[in-house]
Amino acid sequence: MASVPSKLYSDDVSLLVVLIDTNPFFWGGVNTTNASSSLSFSTFIAHVLSFINSILLLNQLSQVVVIATGVNSCNYIYDSSSQTVTENSENGIIPARSSQILRKLEEFVSADEQLSKDLSQARVFSLLSGSLSLALCYIQRVFRTGSLHPQPRILCLQGSPDGPEQYVAVMNAIFSAQRSMVPIDSCVIGSQHSAFLQQASYITAGVYLKPQHLDGLFQYLSTVFATDLLSRSVLELPKPAGVDFRASCFCHKKTIDMGYICSVCLSIFCKHHKKCSTCGSVFGEAHPEVTSTSDKKRKTPMA
Amino acid sequence: MPQVKIIAKNFMDMVASLPEFKLDQLYDNTFICEAVLRSLPALGKKYVLQLLFIEKPVPAKAIEEWLLSNGVSKHRVAIDRLVQLRVFREIIDRKKDISYLLNTKFQSNLQKYIVKGGVLPGEPMPSSITVRLPTLEELDAYALEQWEVCFLLQLISSSQAERPTNFSSSMMTIFQRGLLSQRDKEAPRLTVHGFQFLLMDTNAQLWYIIREYILNSEVRGVDTADLISFLLELSFHVSGEAYNINTLNEFQRNVIKDLADLGLLKLQQGRKESWFIPTKLVTNLSVTLSDSSSRKQGFVVVETNFRTYAYSASKLHCEILRLFSRVEYQLPNLIVGAITKESLYNAFENGITADQIISFLQQNAHPRVAEKTPSVPENVTDQIRLWEADLNRVEIVSSNFYEEFPSRDVFESACDYARENGGHLWEDSKRMRLIVKAEIHMQMREYLRRQK
Repeated sequence: MASVPSKLYSDDVSLLVVLIDTNPFFWGGVNTTNASSSLSFSTFIAHVLSFINSILLLNQLSQVVVIATGVNSCNYIYDSSSQTVTENSENGIIPARSSQILRKLEEFVSADEQLSKDLSQARVFSLLSGSLSLALCYIQRVFRTGSLHPQPRILCLQGSPDGPEQYVAVMNAIFSAQRSMVPIDSCVIGSQHSAFLQQASYITAGVYLKPQHLDGLFQYLSTVFATDLLSRSVLELPKPAGVDFRASCFCHKKTIDMGYICSVCLSIFCKHHKKCSTCGSVFGEAHPEVTSTSDKKRKTPMA
Repeated sequence: MPQVKIIAKNFMDMVASLPEFKLDQLYDNTFICEAVLRSLPALGKKYVLQLLFIEKPVPAKAIEEWLLSNGVSKHRVAIDRLVQLRVFREIIDRKKDISYLLNTKFQSNLQKYIVKGGVLPGEPMPSSITVRLPTLEELDAYALEQWEVCFLLQLISSSQAERPTNFSSSMMTIFQRGLLSQRDKEAPRLTVHGFQFLLMDTNAQLWYIIREYILNSEVRGVDTADLISFLLELSFHVSGEAYNINTLNEFQRNVIKDLADLGLLKLQQGRKESWFIPTKLVTNLSVTLSDSSSRKQGFVVVETNFRTYAYSASKLHCEILRLFSRVEYQLPNLIVGAITKESLYNAFENGITADQIISFLQQNAHPRVAEKTPSVPENVTDQIRLWEADLNRVEIVSSNFYEEFPSRDVFESACDYARENGGHLWEDSKRMRLIVKAEIHMQMREYLRRQK
């Protein structure tokens, strides 16, 4: 007897936001640099499409949103809720869905490339912060509209390494996901672990996984990342082996082990400054003997 | 007359109860595989997806290793369901270890579905032929009207329906069986189940009727498996699109006509072609969500002074409210009534329980009050329960009365025997009279005979 109308479905209805990394520097170099984990973009997309199909197969109310993470921009690629049965759906819904996603991806990649040409300085990192924010915005909109909403979660499929200059933006997105109880799952398909995503999954109680055999990506996706939030409480899922909690400094965007922290606003710096660039607090003079040993972590004295 | 129990079981229980070979036959159809998969418990779906591309049997122990310690009961439920629906095949090897294998047809169909996609069973007709299709809202309104006004009202009282449906009277009798009791020359009266039926939500009612329809199909010479598979297929059609009738065979066309009378489909005729448009009712048919996601807009406001305001013009709603409240006056869009002790006693006499009334009021609460918790004032729900409890002060136990015992000894030993067997209800030692529960009457008689 459901007397109190809840805003959440009690069933395994999920809203899955998939963030796809389309970084050309990663996908272009993946076949040449490490032969062990060779996964071409087309095979990757084929796995992901099957995964999306299977998520939508599991429950008719489930919803999938795909967001592409480029180098200079990110954009919505696909939204299963706004999808209308196209007129020429002769081959059925799924081929139509796949071709729609592929077409949009192609448009996105070429637009992203165009942006690279226009910008003078070349970027090489994927804009993870941007796509995370887009995903969270979408989820917030779902939260605020409609009487019932599915249980949201975000899945990051990330290949390229972290961009240290996005540290603050990514951390803000992570904390906002934590506040709205949205788990961020991460599947790292690159060669290195991603510190950002390790922290993201750790803080939001999502799953972090770096698959060993990339040719079986679909099996990883369906085994681990297809698990709805309802079943997560009863299933054994991969546990993080270790989380890289290192931060980036605000002044040079370098990943550092030790540094200086503003005692007022907790901004992180790799070098001693006279004034905090974030909150403007004036720091006192550091002791000369400490400034010489620069790798020793210390708090700046009170402003 | 068979006793009809109202259990809002779902479609899949029906499918699961089919004989094995028919079930295997059903899995030839990808849409049925899809519907079955969606009906599974969350964990069951997970297992199927995980094993979808594994072609060897997987030991049960390996599956159990995926679980945390608190998941054992959910795991059992999921596995039982999978085996029951023959999605998992149990294989027991020489060491008596159990392993599971996915049903091969089911597996290959779903593999194909995920990789290549399925094809809709029927193609929507191009909009050039179908001149003007009803909008989704019009369609919903049509479905609701057809269901409530035409069908339900006719079900309750055949005289009240303004527009009779085309159901043959024998069909109607099947639906009414158990819901109405027909005495000679008297107006049919609703039975206990009938009252309960009216208070259920639309999906449960629909399912009850469809179940009766399916159960009766064999009498009409229709293959149950065919009917189930066709109904499931229909539930995958897109609501609001038009589908050509000419693609169906004769049996399916007959079914379609029946379903249109229930409001599951809308039939339309063009100049040359005719087509059917599925409504929300039919697309919800295979849905088995635990909370009805298709929750309707409520209309009842209950105040703390036991007055009810129902914002509805529907005759059916008025009839339902009349079941347990005193309708005081009716305005064009408002029914005002009061829940009184007398009106509730009427309802209880008819076999409606307090919980059913309360859940009806809660489920149909007007959006304004539905936001509040509780949506029905607590003093009202408490009072309804108290009034029900009042009626149950007297408990009826069938029993036997013994007297004229030959001696006091026999009487006392009989009392002791009855007490030992938990059947002692009352004794009067002065006049040697004893009342014992009927269920141990035979034992008592045996015992007394031995005493002689």
